[in-house]
Amino acid sequence: MEKVIVGMSGGVDSAVAAFLLKESGYDVEGVFMKNWNEDDDCPAEEDYKDALMVSEVLGIPLHSVNFSKEYWDNVFSTFLDEYKKGRTPNPDILCNKEIKFKAFLQYCIDLGADKIATGHYAKIVQSKNNYELHKGEDANKDQSYFLYTLGQEALSKSLFPLAALKKEEIREIAKSENLSVYNKKDSTGICFIGERDFKTFLKTYLFESPGDIVNSEGQVLGTHDGLMYYTLGQRQGLGIGGGHGEKNAPWYVSDKSIEKNELIAVQGKTHPNLYHKKLEASQLHWVSGGMPDLSQSYGAKIRYRSQDAKCTMEQISKDKVELTFQEAQFAIAPGQSVVFYDGDICLGGGIIDSRSN
Amino acid sequence: MEKQLNCYFDHSATTPLDLAISEWIKRTQGEIYGNPSSSHAVGRKAKNILELARKQMAEVLGCHSKEIIFTGSGTEANNSVLHSLLFQEKKHVVTSAIEHPAILSTLQHLEPLGLSYSIAGVDSRGKVNLSEIEKLIQTDTGLITIMTANNEVGTIQPISECSDLAKAHNIPFHSDAVQALGKISIQILLEQVDLMSFSAHKFYGPKGVGCLYKKENTNLHSFVYGGGQESNLRGGTENIIGIGAMALAAQLAVEQIKETTDHIKVLEYQFITGIKTIRDDIVFHGNSKSHIPGLISFAAPGMDNQKLLTLLDRENIFVSSGSACHSGLSTPSKILEAMDISESLNLSTIRVSFGKHNTDKEVQYFLSVLKKIWMG
Repeated sequence: MEKVIVGMSGGVDSAVAAFLLKESGYDVEGVFMKNWNEDDDCPAEEDYKDALMVSEVLGIPLHSVNFSKEYWDNVFSTFLDEYKKGRTPNPDILCNKEIKFKAFLQYCIDLGADKIATGHYAKIVQSKNNYELHKGEDANKDQSYFLYTLGQEALSKSLFPLAALKKEEIREIAKSENLSVYNKKDSTGICFIGERDFKTFLKTYLFESPGDIVNSEGQVLGTHDGLMYYTLGQRQGLGIGGGHGEKNAPWYVSDKSIEKNELIAVQGKTHPNLYHKKLEASQLHWVSGGMPDLSQSYGAKIRYRSQDAKCTMEQISKDKVELTFQEAQFAIAPGQSVVFYDGDICLGGGIIDSRSN
Repeated sequence: MEKQLNCYFDHSATTPLDLAISEWIKRTQGEIYGNPSSSHAVGRKAKNILELARKQMAEVLGCHSKEIIFTGSGTEANNSVLHSLLFQEKKHVVTSAIEHPAILSTLQHLEPLGLSYSIAGVDSRGKVNLSEIEKLIQTDTGLITIMTANNEVGTIQPISECSDLAKAHNIPFHSDAVQALGKISIQILLEQVDLMSFSAHKFYGPKGVGCLYKKENTNLHSFVYGGGQESNLRGGTENIIGIGAMALAAQLAVEQIKETTDHIKVLEYQFITGIKTIRDDIVFHGNSKSHIPGLISFAAPGMDNQKLLTLLDRENIFVSSGSACHSGLSTPSKILEAMDISESLNLSTIRVSFGKHNTDKEVQYFLSVLKKIWMG
């Protein structure tokens, strides 16, 4: 019997993933993983309790593992570095790359698992000698964006049992199987920040350096609390209101100047400075192991919630591509990942370095 | 190899209920339901069980009945002792770095309320440094509290010496003896302390019940306010069945102490000899000459304890990493840190604690599983 270790978070998705695997006849074990040590040095008790109650209902053993050190060294420190550079990192992508499908995977293999499983909404399709990563069935929940750093080795050893299900169906299964987490709220935001205020959280780790908010002509509009608190395309929280300009429209962050410690804002969501047709991305990763055929056009997501936008790609150096979108994209943010799709197939992606027109 | 064996080697965490105790509970719990504070026959029956238990507990410990205060746990007994300091003039406490969180965390929480404390270090074997304790004593020191034996590494502390020191400075002395009852002789130690905490589930009694020994005339302030139970020191209707079961369990534990410790010392010897033949790089923590029988804390370099615990769990062998918290996650043990054990050894340390129901067959099975894990 194949042994599968499920990463149990205490949420409904991993609970149902474990249930489905058990139903299909795998030898299932759960491992509760915690990557962040809260101040009280006994983290995640609530989530652990939920995971434990689920594993007792399913009749599977539950073990625990602490990757806080690996998380701090390989995810969180990068996260902070990126913020210091005024970029907008995505720690969940890095967590999948460095922790879930690396440290955790290796840990489970060492424990004798044939495969690991998680509650991700994505699909692994085996074709001939290749593993493909596809979008999950629930378009609204698809998480392939977060998984583009997975390679052949990781995919060959992973299972996503929720691939074909919709969230409502997962909750229904959980309810009918008496899994107590059936109505547990989905976690939101970055895992280690949880429900806390982002600004307060960041302030405890990074030095806050207030400066000016200026318009594209360099005129001072107000002050900002520190560039790290703002994301390109952001409208709320600038504290300069609308009404400053002739159009009386709200202001949006269009750029950051690290050198001058200035936040540049423009008025109106349709302002051309908020839109770019091109971007450059590096730290490329291809799911298949090789670069796709660049003569074709592909879909690209520049952030998790964005629609696939049609684009062409050109290789400009070994680890760098330039993308040209058919239509200019709103608020392309350096530090975020751009992920490429051929229909439902996730081809890979990279980190956005810059944008242009 | 017989996998169906269920090897519970985690008796320092908790013990299974002794069969005689569970029979007594079954027999009594339907019958005795009165509130001991009620004056009618039903209440009197309950009161009788309560006071018999107090008498029994006092006999076991070698003290007077009125010196026994029943609590909800060993932790609560410790809390009540520290909490008392807030109501007296001298609010400084001297303790050690290897105390249970029931002491160390409580001190932290009481600090903002006016209590202060100093922590004495331990040597590499986990024994508290007496001269450091003496140096930490201040004019306003109102309590010295040193555990009888450590829960993670098993080192027995120099209670007599600590007690002498406390007496010389006219400071009340408390000892958390939660790990000790039934494993080392308590009566002699009890004579030397002013306050001592116990917990039923560590000596084959039920969970949720403990007791505090308070030498006559020792100052103690009410901890839980209410209906005046336990001589006004701990309000709340008494857990009659739990208390009765604890007293019975304490009596059994002390009656059987020689038989039990002889038995687990043999298991311990078999285990240590056996493990040394499998690997020669095992690092044993604590003091082999003065420790709780049956408690073995050791590091097996090269594998983190969480992984080893998982592999053993699969084979129905239940041990612990001393420092596991409520989410089962292993963090470096603060006790091993205090003993100046390196972080890598710290994170590869597990604690095995044998109990009276363990057998040599189980120990042999344990050794064979360890051999399989380490040697493949």
